[in-house]
Amino acid sequence: MPGYAIVLASGKFERLQAVANIASIAAASEIPVDVFATMDGLEAFDRDVVAGMDFEIGPVGRAMLEAEHMDMALFSENLARAKELGPISVYACELSMDALGKALEDYEDVFDDVLGVSGFLTRAEDKQVMFV
Amino acid sequence: MSEAIQPDVTIDSRGATCPGPLMDLIGKVKKADAGTVLELRTTDSSSSHDVPEWVEKAGHELLDVVEHDEEGYWSIYIEKTE
Repeated sequence: MPGYAIVLASGKFERLQAVANIASIAAASEIPVDVFATMDGLEAFDRDVVAGMDFEIGPVGRAMLEAEHMDMALFSENLARAKELGPISVYACELSMDALGKALEDYEDVFDDVLGVSGFLTRAEDKQVMFV
Repeated sequence: MSEAIQPDVTIDSRGATCPGPLMDLIGKVKKADAGTVLELRTTDSSSSHDVPEWVEKAGHELLDVVEHDEEGYWSIYIEKTE
């Protein structure tokens, strides 16, 4: 299995959770995964956004967050944990960061590096690409 | 059958949603020796179906899945292979 290259461009909570769930299980199962967080998908990792849970959240996400019997880990937590279990790299889009004048320190501690499109495409060329 | 299974390792993931229980299990399986019997406890219905799928794909042996109706959780017993 050559692995997955996931372009995460959405800041919607359910999409973030789904990407992290799939990427985490794949990596923990020794399937290589590269996640490229860009546009709204990168901003969702901003420390202030995460701290304030300032996401676009639909009915499914809201139900999961409000359910007392459900202890749901956040996408950023699942990705960070997956890095301890398997081959997963998470990259922040340089263009998105430049546009907002941000540094990697402004985001949750899940990123391996900052990448441009060419850098990501090089890592993705032997993998199945998923765009979210 | 299930009464006879004595796990070497018990992982209590009750309360956690997908993919928490499976992540808990994989983390322990990776560190365990071949032949180790692990019990994963989960209250997550989807994990009760999905974890056995992973076990089969990963090549370990699924020993049993026991639903504890009154307590509201499942015990998934697996044995790590080589």
